[in-house]
Amino acid sequence: MMNRTTIAPGVSLTTVEADKFNTCRVSIYFVRPAKRETATADALLPIVMERGYADCPDMTELSKRLSRLYGASLRVDTFKVGANRVLSVSVTGIKDKFALEGELLTAEYAKIALGTAFTPYLPNGMFDPECVAIEKQQLRELLEGEINEKRTYCIRQAKRKFFEGMPEGIEANGYLDELDSVDEKTLTEAFREMIRSSRIEVFALGAEADVVRAQVLAALADTKRAPAHLAPINAPAPCREKSFTQNIDAVQGKLCMLFTYGGPVAEEDAAAVRVAAALLGGTATSRLFVNVREKQSLCYYCAAAFQLVAPHLCIDSGVEPQNAARAKAAILHELEALREGPISDQELSETKRTLLSALGSVGDSLHSMETWCFHEIMRGTEKEPADLMHEIALVTADDVHRVLGRLSLSVTYLLTKGAQENG
Amino acid sequence: MAENWKKSIAEASCVRKAVLDNGLTVLVREMPGFDGVHAVYSTKFGSIDRAFELDGRRWDLPAGIAHFLEHKMFENEDGDAFALYAKTGANANAYTGFDRTSYVFTATSRVPENLDILLSFVSRPYFTKETIEKEQGIIGQEIKMYDDSPEWRLVFGIYQNLYQNHGIGEDIAGSTQSIAEITPEMLYACTDAFYRPQNMVLAVAGNVTLEMVLDACARADVPSRTAPVKRLVCEEPAGVKTHESEIRMAVAKPLVGLGFKETPIAETDIRAALICDILPELVCGGTTPLYRRLYDEGLISPDFSGEALSVAGATCILFGGETPEPEKVRDMLLEEIARLRREGIDRELFRLCKNAMYGDLVRGLENIEESASGMASMFFRGCTVEDEAAALAALRPEDVEEALRTMLLEEHASTVIIRPV
Repeated sequence: MMNRTTIAPGVSLTTVEADKFNTCRVSIYFVRPAKRETATADALLPIVMERGYADCPDMTELSKRLSRLYGASLRVDTFKVGANRVLSVSVTGIKDKFALEGELLTAEYAKIALGTAFTPYLPNGMFDPECVAIEKQQLRELLEGEINEKRTYCIRQAKRKFFEGMPEGIEANGYLDELDSVDEKTLTEAFREMIRSSRIEVFALGAEADVVRAQVLAALADTKRAPAHLAPINAPAPCREKSFTQNIDAVQGKLCMLFTYGGPVAEEDAAAVRVAAALLGGTATSRLFVNVREKQSLCYYCAAAFQLVAPHLCIDSGVEPQNAARAKAAILHELEALREGPISDQELSETKRTLLSALGSVGDSLHSMETWCFHEIMRGTEKEPADLMHEIALVTADDVHRVLGRLSLSVTYLLTKGAQENG
Repeated sequence: MAENWKKSIAEASCVRKAVLDNGLTVLVREMPGFDGVHAVYSTKFGSIDRAFELDGRRWDLPAGIAHFLEHKMFENEDGDAFALYAKTGANANAYTGFDRTSYVFTATSRVPENLDILLSFVSRPYFTKETIEKEQGIIGQEIKMYDDSPEWRLVFGIYQNLYQNHGIGEDIAGSTQSIAEITPEMLYACTDAFYRPQNMVLAVAGNVTLEMVLDACARADVPSRTAPVKRLVCEEPAGVKTHESEIRMAVAKPLVGLGFKETPIAETDIRAALICDILPELVCGGTTPLYRRLYDEGLISPDFSGEALSVAGATCILFGGETPEPEKVRDMLLEEIARLRREGIDRELFRLCKNAMYGDLVRGLENIEESASGMASMFFRGCTVEDEAAALAALRPEDVEEALRTMLLEEHASTVIIRPV
């Protein structure tokens, strides 16, 4: 599926065959170890970069340019992969053959993506102070509005406790109380540092790779770079469970439980942890769904997911406030039963089939192909979906027991009505 | 050159169609190179269907019954559909909207078996008092989950303000009280009336052939139902129920929603639907001067937007999102609409909006999920992708200016403001 080549020190270009799609996509990922001291500037950076770049500095003009290209989308995001921060720039648009007036669209997508990534609008050598002020306010509101999405908020609060003091816990969206100290100068420094120290992963999906390669190399021609080594995969050490309850005026409570794996997942166990999480709470026939949601009606949703890059298991659920303790006990009971008890061949094979079916369709969207490739590159494995499918087919019940045996409950976070905040 | 895009669109949107003897319409988009298959089995029955006559008997339905039925259709006397899908590895789900209910699966293998499960469960209803009581608890939880979503409350707050009798003002899932009234008899009446092949479409896209789908239909052998059905519709006055309302809930920042009640458009009127879709973009889309002003003044966040909704008997246009100054944003929207009516539509913006809508249409054709659900939607609207592309190409700014004379009128508007507790 993917073909990755190094085109400069710390810069790789991955191409993926995409003939069957009506769209094409160009993406640039900047990856480096997350830094606590610049977290808020690093979080603001993509929002300001998305407004415009040197060749098209005005936000409305950029929107118009994208609309002219038949609603091509430009996304600039930042997120964390374990202890590393990623800033991504992506442009997706329809292929040339659909252009109403025969325009050459693909080359324009590459120009916009690379222009946004490498040549931001820096009047007087710095980001425009007016733009920075406007986008600081947007980031402020994003941070203040975090509580609006209760499910996500509960998980984030739990993770804050789980990763406390670790680089994995550095906030992807920055810190509200540090926003005032970010200005055009610190933001420009953050941009320059990103260009200097990042490993750069470029993707051309259905776009002309030679054009993209030439444009990337030209953009970096006069740049001094020293790509940093990426932060290794790490997980919190097992500890006594910490339990937190936060009062909130909501109809439904949210319960999040985080279990540490204690360290990196061995590559030979990567398939087993996926199967284990799916058996526990990843499908509509999983233990949590069937027993806790359907049979006991203790939650509306109850799902389990495993994170490989900062290895932990997250179980989150929507609960009636008065049922929270029973739901937690039922969840722990199911985990224990799966860890210690029998797993039938039928249950195991059906769960694997669901995972295999999902993996089989990774190649059906540009976005899912790119996401797959990027995360494989991050893990240093560069596997194809078919490789993982083969490994999943070989997972046994003993493998599931073994990987679940490494999990220990570290944090329980309950968002509920009428309780006092504690911790 | 113009022929190139038409050829590309025709190839990308190619649909093979069959209408079975029992009345079921089957639509298949065969997508070479794709591994997955997405199937959508939809009935034209949703939350706004609240009364009907079946074989001369009148049925009045409690709010939320279509959604309740959706949950129950995953069960029959042999167990539940999820257990069977688990054996094939498919990912299955279902959705209820205002005017339709859809049952879907996505799979990369064992497609014939998955089609068999889909057709057999949705065609063979099975309800008992006990299974209904159990479901009432689960759906009660689901309703409560939506109660905590400010966006959901905002949108339904606007519908409730705009409509006096139309079912659009009721939550799709109903309330814990309304679903408590549901009986097995009601559910059987609904399936007899609306889960009949003549009222349904099976749309499948991806690594599949029409022959494969027709074989599954033959195995399922779903009988047609012939008892006469008549949908009963409440009269809806032109005026809005109330012009303003306020909600208090746990949010960080206020939200404002501004809705306009429009004259209902016919489901098959593609041109009118396109006008409804393009209007919000021309008022406050990302390329408009109003959006820029609101954004630069810190009055909206990037997800502030407008959208149109059109179902049988109700068409409305909504604008909304977070804002620190709800009344000011509402007034600026109203002023901008008045300006557009007075000064006309910017030709360049109009062209850009049309371009973006065309791009959306093309993008929707490369994804198995969007392809299948798009085919089902187009079937209920009685048109094809090519019809829509042609109608879009023919749309002129003068058409929108003409429509604006009678649309987005302040006397047909209502505002909902959500404030933090």
